[in-house]
Amino acid sequence: MNIELRVNEQDFRLVVEPDERLLDVLRNRLGLIGTKEGCGEGECGACTILMDGKAVNSCLVLAAQAVGHELMTIEGVGDRLHPHPLQKSFVELGAVQCGFCTPGMILSAKALLDRNSQPSEEEIKEAMSGNLCRCTGYDKIVKAVQRAAEEVAR
Amino acid sequence: MKKRGIGLGCGWYGTGYGNGFPDVSSAFVEIHDDGSATVSTGAVDVGQGSSTVFAQIAAEELGLEPQDITVITGDTDTTPDSGTSAATRHTYNTGNAVLKAVREAKERLLDHAAHEFSCTSAQGIELKEGWIGVIGDPSRRQPLADMVFQARLHGERFISAESSTARTTPVDRENGQGAPYWPYAFGAQVAEVEVDTETGLVQVLRIIAAHDVGRAINPTQVEGQIAGAVAQGVGYALMEEVELHEGVIKNPAFSSYLIPTALDVPNIQTIIVEEEEITGPYGAKGLGEPAMVPTLAAVVNAIYDAVGVRITSLPATPEKILAALVEKERTFGEGGMRQNIDS
Repeated sequence: MNIELRVNEQDFRLVVEPDERLLDVLRNRLGLIGTKEGCGEGECGACTILMDGKAVNSCLVLAAQAVGHELMTIEGVGDRLHPHPLQKSFVELGAVQCGFCTPGMILSAKALLDRNSQPSEEEIKEAMSGNLCRCTGYDKIVKAVQRAAEEVAR
Repeated sequence: MKKRGIGLGCGWYGTGYGNGFPDVSSAFVEIHDDGSATVSTGAVDVGQGSSTVFAQIAAEELGLEPQDITVITGDTDTTPDSGTSAATRHTYNTGNAVLKAVREAKERLLDHAAHEFSCTSAQGIELKEGWIGVIGDPSRRQPLADMVFQARLHGERFISAESSTARTTPVDRENGQGAPYWPYAFGAQVAEVEVDTETGLVQVLRIIAAHDVGRAINPTQVEGQIAGAVAQGVGYALMEEVELHEGVIKNPAFSSYLIPTALDVPNIQTIIVEEEEITGPYGAKGLGEPAMVPTLAAVVNAIYDAVGVRITSLPATPEKILAALVEKERTFGEGGMRQNIDS
């Protein structure tokens, strides 16, 4: 089927299968491989992207369901030269170890900060609790989100 | 009712493959004519930060910044084998190989520089902040890049290959004697937990983790390794269980095999103990696995402190805790004396 997707403020015309997952379209058809597939069943959050500013598991969304929505992947958050405050604080505080959960973590954190720029520690943990991490113990991830919130507030 | 308790766990851990298994790491080093250096080693950084540690070691020896060091890893076409990223061994064992290789390349560079500066011995030469020169004589120094570039024109290269083998002997099967591991890592942790006596649910509130790392080459990474290990330890203690039925895993999904989320992990306070390990690079030794060992005991001991039941099989699930509480009440009556009850 023919669809149009808006990803990272760019429009794409695509031919996709009706049952094709948004995750696969992003990675395989658009080459946006920053979005990772972990469990493929909506439990780990590695494939988190933003859909109209809300964090969603892109493995649980069909590409066709994303038509008409504003999508953002990690590639749209920032880059090496212009990192988002979250990306900066994750690197600076050592919140990245193997890195596989990181894109999803950043997007869940961004969704939180976009609606609540001064979250408490509990609110951060709550917002990140759908993103599993096996390396960091979340300790530095939570601190990185706090640091980014301070920077966004300034 | 929610009851709180604290518990202590201590652990020691032999690092490296151990028991006489050949435990060898290797590294190639080249100092380049742009004042940078390359370290090649088979050791793969899987997120724990070994490549950063190798860059720090090379930079420290050569008077450079870590960003001046290119670390090439895990390429069977080009890098020398350094074994697996396992057994808490890369900072120590591969770190030693990198240090030996860097020192070898550096020794040749210093010999060359001594000749260039008309010094009788390389001992009078230092590498500092990207410069190479005579110690105590600021007028006789030049950028490292210039020295290596000129040397190159004269056919000199500063390249080295080294390896490091961990000390290990097999344990005698008859009497258990031997020296299977070196070095050993030590740690102690205190857990504070809250146990809900209605549901049996345990929330770990706080872990204080003290670990002897010999020398923290990268303290941020040490904290990260400890926090990661504590989180895995909390999962191991309270929720993680592979359920097998006739050889088939019944819970091969994150919905049925639970691991800690951000909400399950306690506040973690790390205490880095630096008791120099003289055989390690700059006194460092490994931390990866040992940091998880004390967590289990600390959590289970804290549960005992909170509600007086002794859980002896992991994970300490709400079901086991409730069953133990019922058993305790049946034996000793409500609020009865605290006793060990095996679950």
